[in-house]
Amino acid sequence: MLQRILALIIIVFFISRVFWQKRKKQIQVNEFVFWLVFWALAGILVLFLKQIDKFVSYLGFSASGIDILLYLGIAILFYFIFRLRLKLAKIEKDITVIVRNIALKDEK
Amino acid sequence: MGTLGHKKVIVIIPAYNEEEKIATVIKEVKPNVDEVVLVDDGSDDRTAELAQKQEVIVLRHLFNRGQGAALETGNQYALKQGADIIVHFDADGQFLAGEIKNIIKPIENGEAEVVLGSRFMGKKSNIPWLKKNIIFPLARKVNRLMGINLTDPQSGFRAFSRRVNEQLRIGQDGSAHCSEILNKIFYYKFTVKEISITVIYKDFGQSFFRGKGRGMGGIRIVKDLILAKLIN
Repeated sequence: MLQRILALIIIVFFISRVFWQKRKKQIQVNEFVFWLVFWALAGILVLFLKQIDKFVSYLGFSASGIDILLYLGIAILFYFIFRLRLKLAKIEKDITVIVRNIALKDEK
Repeated sequence: MGTLGHKKVIVIIPAYNEEEKIATVIKEVKPNVDEVVLVDDGSDDRTAELAQKQEVIVLRHLFNRGQGAALETGNQYALKQGADIIVHFDADGQFLAGEIKNIIKPIENGEAEVVLGSRFMGKKSNIPWLKKNIIFPLARKVNRLMGINLTDPQSGFRAFSRRVNEQLRIGQDGSAHCSEILNKIFYYKFTVKEISITVIYKDFGQSFFRGKGRGMGGIRIVKDLILAKLIN
């Protein structure tokens, strides 16, 4: 029980941060919505952990619900890293185009 | 474009921190061609300054973008200058400037649109053991799988016609450009000829993990090629 309360406190803290960042205009509307939904979903999952445990065992997993959430979290993180890498590669390409155009303009 | 009968030859030399050899390389290359273009790829040393003293065209990348990026900058410049034949030549002095005439000859004669220098066609090159016996045979096999049948899978000494330069855009900034160029040459079905060249190795060149400048080193080349497939 204590663990769940702690988890909920952390989630409330992050939700308040999201609102604070939005008010300071540090994040865009779409980012605000994404993180709000993300933390709200995390809160719901923590509240319904027992039901998740039942659902997970019904699906045939031997691990508990929280373990499955952890695995899912890691998989999602990897996906974000992959997307970031692709984005970075595109930015690198754009930098090369800019550097090239400057070089061609300033020919010596 | 060159005057009637004469084909304008522009040599592109990409260079990154090559202050020790660049002046000598330019001096040797200059008499063999119409124009020398040095692309200084964000060097931290005096490469660009020394090249300017040799009175050649110097294009400067503000940051190091890799050998492929530098070659593409040179290609685009050569296209604007109306080059009929474009030659890629290394800045570290491992190729012989005297062999430029051999590499452009098949294009001048209309025998081929692309000429690739090969280290494995008779002339003696002091290729490091690991490259000669492991890396190159492996690279050759990979090339063959992709329908590319060449004696030298990774040669940096090459020449091509204006028509090729108009179509061949190098998208790989790092060393993966070697594989990319070969893929595109075979994709566009340009006529290719390999000629024997001499290569003088001063050190290993690039290793599996590290290389000089951005996108160099074996592992990075493979990574760049995979990323390119995912992005495009």
